[in-house]
Amino acid sequence: MDYRKLDEVRGSAVPLQLDTIEAFAAGRLSRREFIQRATVLGLSTGAIGMVIAACSSSSSSPSAAASVGASTAPSAAASVGASTAPSAAATGGVIRIASQKPVSVDPVAMQDLGGYGITAQSFEFLCTLDKGGSNIAPGLALKWTPNSDGTVWTFDLRQNVKWHDGSPFTADDVVATMERLVAAGNSGLKGVLGPGGAVAKDANTVVFTLVGGNGNFPYLVSVFNAQTLITPKAYVAGTTLDKVPAGTGAWKLKTYNAQTGATFERNPDWWGGPTPLDGTEFIFFDATGPMVTAYQGAQVDAIVQFDVLSGASLFNDPNFSIIATEAALHRQIWMRTDKGQFADKRVRQALAFTFDRPALIQQLFKGKAQLGNDHVIWQGYPYFDSSVPQRAQDTAKAKQLLSDAGVSNLTATLHCGQLLEIPDLATLLKSQAAQAGITLNVAVESLDTFYGAQWCPAAPKDPPCSGAAELGIVDYGHRATPDVYLNAALKSKGIWNSSQYNSPAFDAAFKEFQTSVGVDAQKAACTKIETILNDDVPIGLPYFYNYLAGNSKKFTGVYSSALGQMFFSAAATA
Amino acid sequence: MVDVIAEPTPIGPVVSPASSERSQARRETVRLLIRRPAFIIGNIVVIGWIITAVLGQRITPYDPFNQFFIGHEPPSPAHLMGTDRLGRDVLSRVMVGSRDVLIIAPLAAMLGVIAGTLLGLVMGYYRGTVDDVLSRIVEAFLALPVVLIALLTLVVLGSSPLVVVCVVGILFTPIVARTVRSAVLSERQLDYVTAAKLRGESGPFILSREIFPNVLGPTVVEMTVRFGYAIFTVATLSFLGVGLQPPSPDWGLTVSEEYNNMIAGVWWPTLFPALAIASTVIAVNLIADSLQSVLSE
Amino acid sequence: MARYISRRLVLSLVTLWLLATIVFIIANVLPNDVGRTILGPFAPQESVDALNQKLGTDRPLIVQYADSMRRVFTFDYGDSYVTGQPVLPQLAAAMARSAKLAGLALFLTIPIAIAAGIFAARRRDRLADRGVVLLGVTSSSIPEFVTGTILVVVVGVQLKLLPVLATPPPNADIPTQIRYLLMPATAMAIVYFGYIARMTRAGTIDVLQSDYTRTATMKGLTTGQVMRKHVLRNALIPTVAVIAVQVGYLFGGIIAVEKIFNYNGMGQTMLFAAQRKDIPMLTAGAIIIGIVYMLATLAADMTMAWMNPRIRLDTEH
Repeated sequence: MDYRKLDEVRGSAVPLQLDTIEAFAAGRLSRREFIQRATVLGLSTGAIGMVIAACSSSSSSPSAAASVGASTAPSAAASVGASTAPSAAATGGVIRIASQKPVSVDPVAMQDLGGYGITAQSFEFLCTLDKGGSNIAPGLALKWTPNSDGTVWTFDLRQNVKWHDGSPFTADDVVATMERLVAAGNSGLKGVLGPGGAVAKDANTVVFTLVGGNGNFPYLVSVFNAQTLITPKAYVAGTTLDKVPAGTGAWKLKTYNAQTGATFERNPDWWGGPTPLDGTEFIFFDATGPMVTAYQGAQVDAIVQFDVLSGASLFNDPNFSIIATEAALHRQIWMRTDKGQFADKRVRQALAFTFDRPALIQQLFKGKAQLGNDHVIWQGYPYFDSSVPQRAQDTAKAKQLLSDAGVSNLTATLHCGQLLEIPDLATLLKSQAAQAGITLNVAVESLDTFYGAQWCPAAPKDPPCSGAAELGIVDYGHRATPDVYLNAALKSKGIWNSSQYNSPAFDAAFKEFQTSVGVDAQKAACTKIETILNDDVPIGLPYFYNYLAGNSKKFTGVYSSALGQMFFSAAATA
Repeated sequence: MVDVIAEPTPIGPVVSPASSERSQARRETVRLLIRRPAFIIGNIVVIGWIITAVLGQRITPYDPFNQFFIGHEPPSPAHLMGTDRLGRDVLSRVMVGSRDVLIIAPLAAMLGVIAGTLLGLVMGYYRGTVDDVLSRIVEAFLALPVVLIALLTLVVLGSSPLVVVCVVGILFTPIVARTVRSAVLSERQLDYVTAAKLRGESGPFILSREIFPNVLGPTVVEMTVRFGYAIFTVATLSFLGVGLQPPSPDWGLTVSEEYNNMIAGVWWPTLFPALAIASTVIAVNLIADSLQSVLSE
Repeated sequence: MARYISRRLVLSLVTLWLLATIVFIIANVLPNDVGRTILGPFAPQESVDALNQKLGTDRPLIVQYADSMRRVFTFDYGDSYVTGQPVLPQLAAAMARSAKLAGLALFLTIPIAIAAGIFAARRRDRLADRGVVLLGVTSSSIPEFVTGTILVVVVGVQLKLLPVLATPPPNADIPTQIRYLLMPATAMAIVYFGYIARMTRAGTIDVLQSDYTRTATMKGLTTGQVMRKHVLRNALIPTVAVIAVQVGYLFGGIIAVEKIFNYNGMGQTMLFAAQRKDIPMLTAGAIIIGIVYMLATLAADMTMAWMNPRIRLDTEH
């Protein structure tokens, strides 16, 4: 341990950052977890590199620094100054991208991955995606620093950034954006940032005063909270990108047709320097199959997201490079805990014991997914605790539990929406449940109908989602922190709480998690959450699957988040 | 149609063209039909599918619903038609898939034919205001694109087999009605009808006993044609996602679930159900065509 | 003739009204909260109520129906619930795209089918005739989504002869557009070939057997002259009738083909409007399709009447 190097960093670190450094030095965090946590807490990449080098100075310091460098060097380069030489000289060319048709390109209100992807071309976040695809990196904010208990965060903004119309980007734009998001009830910021919580200290600094301490705040104003794109002061709520094209990003919107596609051209004044490509062209699709067909027919070069089955041919294609990100994408099989056949915990556990999770992962994802243990703490989160035993298929136990609960010939309708592999999941679950004598009748509906009729009907309004069906499958997109899953789907009276789960023990554990800012405290709270959820089983959660995207090898430098946002500012023709 | 004896119609009980004559004509028709290869082939195929529909899982090589092997295995001696994306045997699913289509399509066709025939009989026989009004409504309905209305209704009401049968049946009614009506129009002018009226027979009696048997020919042809259209339409609706729902092994649904995989070179889960649909509709059309040729001679 | 046209027009209006009513009934048969559908499950109730009031969806159904009918006949269709944009421009564009596809399909199929039908009729009951009939029965039995899928894989992916997406790049010239539309149009053309060929064959057979034709031949006209002057005209009458009827089925075929080829025509637009319960789009779309259908049938009837004066004069049909 090279204490000299360590002390250099520790000297200028704030308490929260110190806590993380200590945890890493003591071996309680893996290197990957440390990089992730430290970036969120605002430690610069140089400092992170130094800490890693310091803590492994015995043998592998060059490689340690190199490994940090490898994953963060591009963002380090991007954070250094206002302009950066691009990695390749301008190669020209236009890349054609197959994307899901956006339902809305209103940056504040959009809920779908299609919209996230399009808006992220022109607009930017305070904290953007690093090239590795899973951490945050400086975007419109160069540096962020928490106070000692994580209640106040200070963001130093990048300077000399201009909007597409030439006007300067300032802290007022950030403040206006945040106010708009808070007023709209943005799910990531709800309960964390209140009205007036964002204040411009000067033209280049914004101070966020949070409702309570929160160690994950930068995630909530990053690419992982897709609506927090920074929009101009004058953007009134309800404005959409196509009506008023604007942005600070590398691409200016040239044409937009809600049905067919959009084109973007290079922003010559972008702070990151001129992009190698001249422009990007998005083509909209309604399903992934045709996207793959289009690629095979050489009509698109990149696909924003595809699933394992439609994209089967892409895995063996030597000319296609796949971007696979392990992600927290999952399905929740909710069961009403307040009334109906699943009100008894034993019945819910019985159903969970019929899941043959490895078989589901193999059949639906060809192995490209990770096991879920009926709770929402994905193993990729730094505070995941693996000590809770993984539930496996146990038909005998399921039958035992059912008879203990005095239930025989359980028959229920399994509702789901027509989305990706979900109908197939329902078919497989039906077959697996039948082995324990449970009869499930699968009912598939179109997605819009499903959300409004089975998952969270508008009536009765209070408590939210109390009109939900007894049993159903709903999809959840990737989130960099489980806050949204815990808050909306599982907390009592949560807005997406289709199982009407109401557990004081869980609510307390969640509160503990939310207010913990140290890594150890977060982990302890998560252990409680995992245990409670695994025992109560308000939702069955069999897997977290990988996010798959990719592009033809004719282009390089494409990277993507797990939320439909694909970045082309560093892309070039090969 | 039926030849009328050219002599003055006597007063008193007069019998319509002898029923024995009619049944003799029928037997003759059947004999002519059986001679046509198209008719035979068509029937073989349809009956084949009916057998698989009725016997279902008893004769499939594997369980079409709960037995999962390796996904997307190409056709082999173990799996003659390969396996689908979840690893289920395609041959078993194709065999069982005939059941849904062979229940729903005929029901829909029959609903359309029965309703249409009744309507056509009434319209053609009574003429006058009844016919005028009903004709306008029928013509209006004829102008509606079937798939569009079916699509809308199914999306709104949810697609249960019952709704599919009703919607498709109702949408077929006007077409059948129009055919039956024209047939009735030509029949009603014939002398035996006038004779029956003079005898004092009531309208419904004439319709059912006299006219209907003589319009049976076109009606039967129409029914077979409708049957073919019904299969076609139900398959298309399933393909669009508003017909039968998973995990039904319905052919149209299977094609819509698997056709994207053809790009990856996995042609078998799509091709075999598609061929099944095509074979059934072709068979039914061959039967309809033969019937039409024989009955119009 | 004028009486005939005016009768047909009145009938068309009745049909349009019926169509609009059916769409209205379908759209309102289940209780649905339009404001809630547009704004989503998490919007505050006040906004939902305000939107419902603005759209007028909180009025009694009868009032809404009357208003809906008025708007249908004044072509005031409003904005889409999903995009918030006026529906007519979007539908017009989609209609244009579908029309191109349908037009190409008909252009491909009609000449070939008519030629095949006449060819078969002249060789009645010989091998060639049976072959054409069999081909016709077979091809009209294969749903468009089956032929479309096979074409995509064989022609588009394996042989790479034609593009697999039917949407051409913007501002493409006509040959390019045709190239992109060729596969989906062929898928549709294959189905209609059967109907049209058989109809033409039946009509031609009837005419060839008629006294008029025999007289003409006996008078010394060559076969060619007989064909041109008389047979074609009358044989095509049932064909024209079939083509008009097929316009309605064209729409069904179009939906499936547009789905496979990712072509944003009326089929796709209506499919997604139905799925998203976008009622203004559905109503306007259904009316437009109905109008097109009506115009096609009217044109077909006009052509038939022109070709055979007896139909014109026969007011009893």
